[in-house]
Amino acid sequence: MAPAHTGIVSHSVSRLKQPALFGFLLAALITLPLAESVFQVPIQVSDSLEAIGIAAKYSSASQLLSDSLRFSTTTLRPMRYLQARWLLDAARRTNVTYNAVFRAAHVALLGLLVALFLLAVPVKNWTDLAAFSVALLVLLGIHTFVAMLQEAFPVNHYAEVGVCALAVFVIARQPPRWFFPILVCLLLACALSVIESGAMVWIVAVCCAAAGMRGMTRSSVMAATLVLGAYLLARYALEISSPGIGGHGSGFGATFYSPEDLKQRFAAHPLPFYAYNIGGALLSILFSEPRNGVYSLAIARDAGVAHPVVIINVLSSAMITAVIVWYAATRIGRSRAAWSDSERAFLVSCMVIIANAALNAAYMKDEIISVGGLFYAVAAFIAVRALLDTTPRRTPTGGALIAVLLATSAGLWAFRAAGMHYVLRYDAFKTRNDWVEVLRPDRREDWPRDERELAITRTIRDEVIARRVASPSFMPRWADRYWVE
Amino acid sequence: MSLDSGLGIRDSKVRLAGAAVMLPCVVLAAMSTWWFVAGLAGQGLWPPDDVTLAEAVATRNNAEALRLIALGSDPNSPSRVRDGLLTNGYDVLVTPVEAAVGAARADSLRMLLAVGARIDERERLVLRCYERTRHDSSVREILDAGASGEPDCAHVRLPVDRKD
Repeated sequence: MAPAHTGIVSHSVSRLKQPALFGFLLAALITLPLAESVFQVPIQVSDSLEAIGIAAKYSSASQLLSDSLRFSTTTLRPMRYLQARWLLDAARRTNVTYNAVFRAAHVALLGLLVALFLLAVPVKNWTDLAAFSVALLVLLGIHTFVAMLQEAFPVNHYAEVGVCALAVFVIARQPPRWFFPILVCLLLACALSVIESGAMVWIVAVCCAAAGMRGMTRSSVMAATLVLGAYLLARYALEISSPGIGGHGSGFGATFYSPEDLKQRFAAHPLPFYAYNIGGALLSILFSEPRNGVYSLAIARDAGVAHPVVIINVLSSAMITAVIVWYAATRIGRSRAAWSDSERAFLVSCMVIIANAALNAAYMKDEIISVGGLFYAVAAFIAVRALLDTTPRRTPTGGALIAVLLATSAGLWAFRAAGMHYVLRYDAFKTRNDWVEVLRPDRREDWPRDERELAITRTIRDEVIARRVASPSFMPRWADRYWVE
Repeated sequence: MSLDSGLGIRDSKVRLAGAAVMLPCVVLAAMSTWWFVAGLAGQGLWPPDDVTLAEAVATRNNAEALRLIALGSDPNSPSRVRDGLLTNGYDVLVTPVEAAVGAARADSLRMLLAVGARIDERERLVLRCYERTRHDSSVREILDAGASGEPDCAHVRLPVDRKD
């Protein structure tokens, strides 16, 4: 017979694990249909088809890798083409459709993001669980999250960077291990090889070290800095420059400008535009406004009417940002040695949000601030948890007000998170119809010349046309005004 | 000093606040479960609707129109378009090209013509008159190609006119 104290211990352990289990269950239940919505979006024509065509044309992966280093004068993204090739090979080997394989990759990225978030904000008791239930909605409902699942190039690189950045953060929360520097370097190298925003992984590592998180040792940061240095050297050797103003369209005030217009308006004196973009990116993470540089509130002011989606987004974000600001304000002035793990994690989140905003200097895009969006959710968890912790010390009215504020905010965020299904279905409809314009019988002169590229284009097109998706015409009419900005 | 009870909830105030805060997430999780389970049976959140070829065109769903044609739908046969898409208050029976004109979709019209839809002179007059009620310059450009002057629509019955 087991001793009595063993029973008490195992009972206590199981009780401790209960909130974590509920947290996992909530995340899994909400993510499952979301994964289905992500899976329904077909392979895109814009940004994806070109990369897939290039990947299909090459007879060897090594030749593709070597040539991809010279594909662009402003980007170095060798893994973009290589992973497209791997996924094409996987589809052929498994006899699964190309669409299924490419979309499964995105479903996997969604699963990884949610799983890493669960690890990043450990749920140990019921108060944690309450805070987690808000933070999870913030994670999924923020506009920068759906941006990681909508676009594909043909795999969304921002989602890959998000996974790597969160993984580094999770590593930093653990006790140090000998292999952490290697892991951090691998994650950074992966992120940098798909897109320039991969530098965010290095920023997360540096922020974790600066905040004194125990898993991020000096050797990890030094090794990661060496990897970043090697990457920058490679860019220099390959004469790859960074895109400046005019490399991409972006908004200013109430208007979205084309690259040419931006160049004409701001190239001569770029500093105010840079400041506008950095400030705007920060506001976008904290208040869901502006979007891609455009202030919907400014449009609403001119038009005299604001769409409900703008009000819901701004209000929900403002409430959570207020809690985050309250948390920061109550911790100012405390010595570094006295910081708790949560306070260090909170500081990292704030630093990452600010650094991510700075990456938007040349142009603003929801995807670029997606890592900032992930860490906004982490900061929300820590701040909401701390606010809930204060309720026993408050008057009944104060406690009730906090509960109402957080529940209202959570309700709005839940509504935003539910809207992802609508946005993704809308995208699936639009993307599927984009394929009608590919290989048009009356435009044979536009068809690919290469036989392999033509064959793969035809197969993917046939697959997409055969995949039935929901039409917005048969979805609720009100949804556009409440979920699409 | 921790005031935690065994469950980590410090007192009823925290418990109440925590429950209120968790409610939206729990509701979304319950709804998500329903969407997922129903989705496995093909009845989840906003499943694809069964549409006729004309309805696919009327709802700007060219890809679905192509799929239906590939499955054997005739691009020249009229089919039902439900109330609210081209008309208000009643269903209509129209051909896919008529639906394209009604939806003011030049791209749909062009696609239908490329995959075998035919327009004879009588139908062209009807379509041109129908377009005059919709006003789409790109559709007009396609329908007016080769025609001279304005069509005489005085005695033309439009495809969406209600049958008495």
